[in-house]
Amino acid sequence: MNTVGLLMGLLVLSYLGSFLVSRRSVGGVGLPSGIEYVTLGFALGPRVLDLVATRDISAFEPVAQVALGWLAFGLGLDFGFANEKRVSAARIMFGFFGALLTGSAVAVVTWWAVQRLGVGASRTDRILLTGGVAAVCCETTRHSVAWVIGPRKTWGPLADVINDVVHADDLFPLIPVAILFALDPIPGIALPMPVLDWSLITAGLGLVLGAGAALLMRSEMPVEDTWAALFGASLLLVGTAARLSLSTLTASFVMGLAVSALSRRGPRLRAMVGPTEHPVLLPALVLAGARVDFRVSTALPWIAAAAVAARLASKVVVGWALAVGSKPARSAGPLVGLSLSSSGALSMCIGLAFALRFPGIVGDSVLAVAVISAIVGEFIGPVRMRRALLAAGELEERASPSTEQVTA
Amino acid sequence: MTASSARKGANAWLSHAALLVAFGALAFYATHIVREDQGRLWSIAAIGFLLLAGTLASELVAPLGLPHLTGYLFAGIAAGPHVLGIVDEHTVKSLSPVNTLALSLIALAGGAELELGAVRKWARSLVVATTIQTGCVFAVATVTFLLARPLIPFARALGPWAAVGIALCWGALAVTRSPSATLGILSQTRANGALANFTLAFVMVSDVVVVVLVATVLGVARPLIDPSSRFSLDAFVSLAHELFGSVALGTTLGLVIATYLRLVNKQMLVVLLVLGFGVSTVLDYLRFDALLAFMVAGFVVRNLSNQGQKFVHYIEQTGTVVYVVFFAIAGADLDLPLLRALWPVALVLAAARASATWVSSRLASSVARDPPTLRNWAWAGLVSQAGLTIGLSLVVAREFPAIGAEFRSLAIATVAMNEMLGPILFKLALDRAGETSPNRNSAFPPPLLETQ
Repeated sequence: MNTVGLLMGLLVLSYLGSFLVSRRSVGGVGLPSGIEYVTLGFALGPRVLDLVATRDISAFEPVAQVALGWLAFGLGLDFGFANEKRVSAARIMFGFFGALLTGSAVAVVTWWAVQRLGVGASRTDRILLTGGVAAVCCETTRHSVAWVIGPRKTWGPLADVINDVVHADDLFPLIPVAILFALDPIPGIALPMPVLDWSLITAGLGLVLGAGAALLMRSEMPVEDTWAALFGASLLLVGTAARLSLSTLTASFVMGLAVSALSRRGPRLRAMVGPTEHPVLLPALVLAGARVDFRVSTALPWIAAAAVAARLASKVVVGWALAVGSKPARSAGPLVGLSLSSSGALSMCIGLAFALRFPGIVGDSVLAVAVISAIVGEFIGPVRMRRALLAAGELEERASPSTEQVTA
Repeated sequence: MTASSARKGANAWLSHAALLVAFGALAFYATHIVREDQGRLWSIAAIGFLLLAGTLASELVAPLGLPHLTGYLFAGIAAGPHVLGIVDEHTVKSLSPVNTLALSLIALAGGAELELGAVRKWARSLVVATTIQTGCVFAVATVTFLLARPLIPFARALGPWAAVGIALCWGALAVTRSPSATLGILSQTRANGALANFTLAFVMVSDVVVVVLVATVLGVARPLIDPSSRFSLDAFVSLAHELFGSVALGTTLGLVIATYLRLVNKQMLVVLLVLGFGVSTVLDYLRFDALLAFMVAGFVVRNLSNQGQKFVHYIEQTGTVVYVVFFAIAGADLDLPLLRALWPVALVLAAARASATWVSSRLASSVARDPPTLRNWAWAGLVSQAGLTIGLSLVVAREFPAIGAEFRSLAIATVAMNEMLGPILFKLALDRAGETSPNRNSAFPPPLLETQ
């Protein structure tokens, strides 16, 4: 397939993605993590059918970078909001610390596995691999609750709590990503600096461009100019961060946060940018899938197994903590935490960002673990979520979303 | 204007200027602390910067009465390889897909803006103006080139017949106008009236005339420049193939778009991207004229269905962002050192063309008994030249490789002047004719990707 053919294919996917948006909900449509699009990309990619060659995938790196940046910008813009209402500070903190706990547990186990198996050529490689795997295993997809409940259903208190928490856990994984990207600076940069400084510059870049975009959109302006400001700032940020080899994801996320915080038009901007998530996400997932290489290392199955096990165990602990602090979660049973095991777009984006930034054993392993974690999450997360909501009396016994979707 | 609104306006201007400086400093700094070979993805940042800088510069020049397009060009020139170097030559080349997309949108919009009723209404004026403008500008530009020959290094060395051949090619290039600049100004000003309709229709029609004229002139000039070659009708066969193929494919495309708009009418952003990239590639492969095909497609949607207004609205939503980058890239692509070297002769040639345009416009308006608006201002929209002229100069350069590079350089230098001056004149004319809309603010948020 040539690059134009691939571009057309991605645009068709984008078209399908925008149809999903027009249905107003992702409930019951596809899988919560979007792993089916990753699988499609994998099947078309060089490891299976070879319809999308490695050369074509490389030609689309700028497209992938832009997609990652835009998705992260959307996440930042929407951070602290769920179902168009503000998430309480307590739940944001819980989401953050839940992700921190999961990430730390996964990091410890992965580090142990990486050391034992002797993966990576250097200590920096091992740190990058461990940190990347921890980052892709932290979060829970924001669509997990909506997918189980389905469209046009009333949300109960448990669904509300879980939905708020999964919307609040996006921030944590992007912090280690910024640090890890700064850990391995590009050669030839005329401004050598410590890792922490580069990490701060990553956030500062997002903050400055976000503030600039907010200032630009301060006065009433035509819609086209608003898009120009948002696209322009986002692309400038992605290109600059890529040139400096910083994390485009973190910088874009911070830019989204800054625009949301500093612009008086936050809700309207969220309404503008929100519908673009799926049209951008689906092609990015296919590109990620085409890059996946499960044969990158013989140690990969062991690393993935250790990381996923640590993730699931941590989620159980997070669920237990949720039950302690929240009455609705208590009624859902002791394994409510497993309902948080669906990973999603952010994990896949981090995996793809690692694969682009650290091609070879580090990046490919991180992306592969992101995919494996998402697949395992699909088998556990939605089932446990349904059970939890049933136990809490927030879902009727026969309300299978996929069945509803078909009959509707 | 009250003191309070003046103060607000001044504050907004200052904040825009400060933002432009800040964004520029950031991009400039990034290009200077990291080696160029690390800048593989810099084209992404370049598009972003041109978008922001173009938008800001257009706001900065607006109080001077200048069109937004001039702001986009200024931003591009400042960011380009000859001033700040934020966008280098390699990056300018790598942004060619944006130009492809923009040209397809421009042609679609141009066709969709042409209403059959308006074309019929102005048919007499269009026929008269096209004939007189084409003949007069072609003749004056050819003669001026011959007279200015001592000033043109590469023409000085040519024999008399070869010089006539090249002068004829120059005359044909002088007849080209700029559909993109016309659409860009109309899109910004939302102008509506006799001048706007006439100029748009004229520029679109002249695109077809120019393609035929250039093919004819090349056929005549070839034996003059190269005595070993003969006049051949082969070029006209392939030209006919190109024109009929483009019209046929454009008509089919227009009907498909109209059907889609009627039956589905969703996700037009993605559909326009598919048209811009996918269909352009197919047209390129078939060696059809993409500009003509898209123009016909837009015309069919507008006049053979009731989806025209909707279609124009969608293109405007998508197009505005693309136009900013397109014109800013055009600014970055301006070869300033070349302009500095060739400006005296380029100025003579551009002035002769502009004068011929003015005289023939007055003459055509008198013959066609046009209303005073057209009689006074119709010429102003016809001065702009841009990508089409440069594209055709490349065709001439390929045809005559011995003098091709110098010929093209002179064409680029002249286009640079017309590109800067033309949009300003057209905007001024529309303002004076009272056809511009004072407020272009539209509803918020846009249905760019939602169900339409």
